[in-house]
Amino acid sequence: MRYERLIEDLRAEFRPQRAWGEGRGIFMVIGHFVVGVAAGAWLFALCYESRAGLTLAFVLAALGGLAHLVNLAHPARFWRMAARFRSSWVARGFWGLVFFLTGAFLYLVALWWPGLWTSGSVPGAFGYALALAGMVLLMGYMGFVYSSSKAIPFWNSTLHPALYVAYALRGGIAALLLVQAFGAHSNASFAELLLWWLGVSAVVVAFFALELHGAWTGGNAAARRSVHDLLAGRMALSFYGGTLALGMLVPAWLVWSGLTGEASLQAMAVLALASALGDFFMKYSTIRAGVHLPVWTKSHGLQR
Amino acid sequence: MRWGMVIDLKRCIGCYACQLSCKAEHGTPPGVFFARVLKQEEGSYPSVRQLFLPVLCNHCEEAPCVEACPTGASFKWDDGIVDIDHDKCVGCKTCMVACPYGNRYFNDQAQHYFPQGPTDYERSRMARHPTGVVMKCNFCRHRLKEGKLPACVANCPTVARYFGDLDDPTSEVSRLIKERGGFALHPELGTRPSVFYLPA
Repeated sequence: MRYERLIEDLRAEFRPQRAWGEGRGIFMVIGHFVVGVAAGAWLFALCYESRAGLTLAFVLAALGGLAHLVNLAHPARFWRMAARFRSSWVARGFWGLVFFLTGAFLYLVALWWPGLWTSGSVPGAFGYALALAGMVLLMGYMGFVYSSSKAIPFWNSTLHPALYVAYALRGGIAALLLVQAFGAHSNASFAELLLWWLGVSAVVVAFFALELHGAWTGGNAAARRSVHDLLAGRMALSFYGGTLALGMLVPAWLVWSGLTGEASLQAMAVLALASALGDFFMKYSTIRAGVHLPVWTKSHGLQR
Repeated sequence: MRWGMVIDLKRCIGCYACQLSCKAEHGTPPGVFFARVLKQEEGSYPSVRQLFLPVLCNHCEEAPCVEACPTGASFKWDDGIVDIDHDKCVGCKTCMVACPYGNRYFNDQAQHYFPQGPTDYERSRMARHPTGVVMKCNFCRHRLKEGKLPACVANCPTVARYFGDLDDPTSEVSRLIKERGGFALHPELGTRPSVFYLPA
């Protein structure tokens, strides 16, 4: 069955990418999603001094790292991924995760067990700086992993990294909303977080619309095919159901309810989870919608 | 020194000898084709003709797979051949996503062609391919070391394939590219492939 599908893919003009997002490759998408949320959560939790938010960010980053390991066929060789940071965005992401996990651990020790060392001490300050550097790398690298792929024109967009940063921020707000819905304390009010969610979601929608428009109007046939697959083809259900309905409409309605009246903690928790799941489906849909550049095109001029 | 290949599309008859000889030489598992032939029909009845495009790893000078590989498993020899060190490959498939020509394959499990189990041939030839790693054409590097041509070149019945040093302006491949307008696939990507085609 798998073999027949491969043969079918090789014969197809637009070969869907199946390396990531299918089979074990789903863990690559999960890893990218979770790590993105972790980076965003760390930023917002730092800004609003949420110890629970910072802890959640650390846990999520660790889980994201684990998902990346599951994606590998030889996880025991994971350390080799540190080797090529000068050219490979995946290797840079690896370093980002190492920095983040190490730094976040040092900083969290200072927050939870100040008897060991404080956040102002050398280990605490070092952890703070390292985690911040890791956070920036984690937010930035994912989009570049995709946009640097010349093989899949739909991903090969300059907007992709910005979109992934925006999604990380949106995920971070969702994470902070979630921990606050469960009673954790921070300097942010729900209204403030809801306004952040609205603003960042508007940016996400704008970037995503621009990217789709660019691929449809300025992209080649493979990019247009990906847009078609996303909006009216094999990924339409996941896009409309997951990204739009679950990730945009449900949270938007809950945000509206929260800003115009008294929102329950349960509603905030649902909002956070729906928003995060929507982000996952956005990544999943766009990754799966990627099709390879046809090897043989008319422009090659096989004849004189 | 930069090994390269020229494929004359005027001579190619789409017989799949290259694909088969490659399979026989490397004993690749099901679903892995270091060399394959694409077919396309052109025109409309009654003026229809079939075109063939044999493809393989392009051993790009600016190989995106080498750049994207996080471990250094994908690398380039001094003679321009892009190869994979299977001991370093973690199976992340980043190179497969990066290759614009779709000439990398993932060998996820030990496979055989027939339901009754692996044949003796498969046992002897496929066992040397590790699983959980990406595989690709290496211009039959082991044959080059013995002074032989790559299997697909040596076994092409119509002599549609030429192999030589692209850096040497007097080599047959350089001459053919120059005289007959050899072109590479997707030159707009800036990958600078080492496989060239002569127009049909």
